[in-house]
Amino acid sequence: MTWLAALDVNGLPQQLTNGIVVGAIYALIALGYTMVYGVLKLINFAHGEVFMIGCFISLFVSWSLGYTSSSIPTATNPSALMWMILASMLVCGLVGVFLERFAYRPMRGQPRINSLITAIGISLFLQYGLSLVFPISPPRTITEQVNPYWQNSVSVTLRAAPQELVNDRAKVVAELKTAVDAQNARMKELGIDSTFRLPEEDKYLVTTVRNLEAKERELGADVNKSETRITVPTGKMIMLVATLALMLLLRWVVMGTAVGRQMRAVSHDFDSASLMGIDVNFVVSMTFFIGSALAGAGGMMAATFQGVALTAFVGLEYGVKAFVAAVLGGIGNIPGAVLGGLLIGMLESIATAFGQSAYQNIVTFFILILVLIVKPAGLLGSAKAEKV
Amino acid sequence: MNKKLIGIASSLSLSVAMLAGCTGGAATNSTEPTNTGSNSTSTTSSTARPAVTAPPIEAKGDTIKIGLVASISGALKPWGDDSARGAKLAVDEFNAMNKLGGKRVELIVEDSGSDPKQGQSVTDRLIASGVIGIVGEVASGITAQIAESAFRSGVPVVAVGATKTTLTDVGNNIFRVCYTDALQGPVMARFAYEELGLRNMAVMTDNQQPYSQGLSASFSEKFKALGGKIVREEFYKSGDTQFTSQITNLKGLNPDGIFCSGYFTEVGIIAREVGQQGLKVKLLGGDGWDSSELQNSGEAILGGYFCNHYNSAEDRPEVAQFLTSWKKAYDGSTPGTTMGALGYDAAMLMCDALTRAEKLDTHALIKAIDETVGFKGVSGVIDLKGHNGNPPKRALVVELQKSGQVFAKAYEPEEN
Repeated sequence: MTWLAALDVNGLPQQLTNGIVVGAIYALIALGYTMVYGVLKLINFAHGEVFMIGCFISLFVSWSLGYTSSSIPTATNPSALMWMILASMLVCGLVGVFLERFAYRPMRGQPRINSLITAIGISLFLQYGLSLVFPISPPRTITEQVNPYWQNSVSVTLRAAPQELVNDRAKVVAELKTAVDAQNARMKELGIDSTFRLPEEDKYLVTTVRNLEAKERELGADVNKSETRITVPTGKMIMLVATLALMLLLRWVVMGTAVGRQMRAVSHDFDSASLMGIDVNFVVSMTFFIGSALAGAGGMMAATFQGVALTAFVGLEYGVKAFVAAVLGGIGNIPGAVLGGLLIGMLESIATAFGQSAYQNIVTFFILILVLIVKPAGLLGSAKAEKV
Repeated sequence: MNKKLIGIASSLSLSVAMLAGCTGGAATNSTEPTNTGSNSTSTTSSTARPAVTAPPIEAKGDTIKIGLVASISGALKPWGDDSARGAKLAVDEFNAMNKLGGKRVELIVEDSGSDPKQGQSVTDRLIASGVIGIVGEVASGITAQIAESAFRSGVPVVAVGATKTTLTDVGNNIFRVCYTDALQGPVMARFAYEELGLRNMAVMTDNQQPYSQGLSASFSEKFKALGGKIVREEFYKSGDTQFTSQITNLKGLNPDGIFCSGYFTEVGIIAREVGQQGLKVKLLGGDGWDSSELQNSGEAILGGYFCNHYNSAEDRPEVAQFLTSWKKAYDGSTPGTTMGALGYDAAMLMCDALTRAEKLDTHALIKAIDETVGFKGVSGVIDLKGHNGNPPKRALVVELQKSGQVFAKAYEPEEN
């Protein structure tokens, strides 16, 4: 029962929250897979690459706003995040429409395997093609300062630590800060860049800092043990809220607008919908636009708030996870994709909480297999007899 | 350096391919787990290596051809470019010294594309064109393939930055100018315990990289032997982008520091996560951190320490001279990674051996390289005699700051 011993019960609420935050991004990308499958019965394997393009577009926008790796603008720019997400969504949406028009539409009406192979081809083409033009080596990251709230976090205390312990800790933190300032001031005075080159008579500065650090850690451990709290960095909070907002927006588009009604009709029966006077090409284009724009938003948020190192292959990991999420929830079903994404995120998190980070994927995929054995159409999918 | 970024990419594309029921993608670097025995001085192992059996290849005419395999394109480009520039610089300087009685060394550069398979095919091409020695590569996966080809034809290889411990066991024609993975783990353990005073360490291991697994194991072993405690080892795989749960786990255990043995691509995200969750820990790692971009991946990584081969701030004449000539040759720039210095050392060692070889053929060259004693390289003194191709090297611990890598402490070979 070593795995039970590894479980930190105090940390469980935090781990579940982590799972939801991560899962929300998976869900956002899974929506694109599931929407395209819904209308075309096509697994768009290039969806992960659309996500990757979204990451890079936000990188470029952040650069153009002055947030390069070596310098950041002196004045914080709260609208930077907005520009980045809008640009990513727009460009990715257009890329999606373009892909559909020139890669998938010519394949329509041919055996489904042709479209599938095309999708894999496009995916590889984008990965390897863009790795020649994008700045991938060494991989760049979006500076965290682009988010004006990057140092803040939101936290909810479920069980508070004794006040005197918290006070003790705050006192040590203050002392530590003074000690670090003293050490840095001395280093600046001597014009040296590393504490290892402080002369012997100044070494006590380093020792003081070390001792205070150790004390702070000990007190921190006591505080952590006696309290239960959930902390989410503000960046991830923004990510979660934006993801939920986009999902609600999508729900409104699909359920409450004329285009949405047409989409549902096409998804229900492609041929009949076209006989009823629905412009199926327009509907398919719209589906690709919306799905890809969501992937673009996911790309922007993953690159900005999670700090992913950007290469042309960054879409693979997210793409596979999101695809699995879509299948788990029932591919073709929009609420299913969201449910699947959140479940995958939480499963990964819980597996790690039980000390099984080495088996994260095994646990996740094992659950996927179990679900598919019991419910082959996925959790929320409806089993429909295939007309052959 | 055991860089296998290509491996990441290909294994991931393989997983996509599997889902789609098709095979393909680039070749994965298959490597056995790194030898991480308790013996941190395994650079002086005494087991005999298989001897080259191929007949000697002689250098004809006044031009001696030396091949260079470098990752000029692909994921390892920053290291490949630096190693190629370093090697070219060394050969130019050597030719200017005219030590071979009017004969010149010609460096033929081939691109491995950061891919082990392509590395092997360009090696075959180099051998066919009549080279009597090969310099390269920066990654162990590619170097293993070069070694395989070179052993068959008996051409000596001097590897630039391949740290996998068992790499030189292929044959007695394989050498390197860098240290091995069995050295840098213990060095970092000592640094953490003795210099930083850390006692409770957590370890983050990339389960997909034998390099990372080996490094974590050798670090943990030494750290425990010194009296420290490893509170927990957490795992991830190359290409992962979520480390929130692992860091939350570690936060509950309050370690003094985290040893991240993987490559900088993931280390950057881990560090950002550590910062976001407010953990006040020292971050430590191996030479997989060596990148000109890592310091830009967030505030939390600054003040972290890792083990490297060389640092441009060292005050040795070789370093100063190397930097001066690099600046002159490459428009006032400085090498972005340590592979510049290692590439220079590897090529210069090969040229130096040419002057000592009895004859200008492969067998005499192997013998001359094997008998290298006290070669003053930019990355330190290199002794190959009696070390089976693995020189006992000094290891440097550097601190990562916003300005780049700042030298902290050197560990001389006899101390290890």
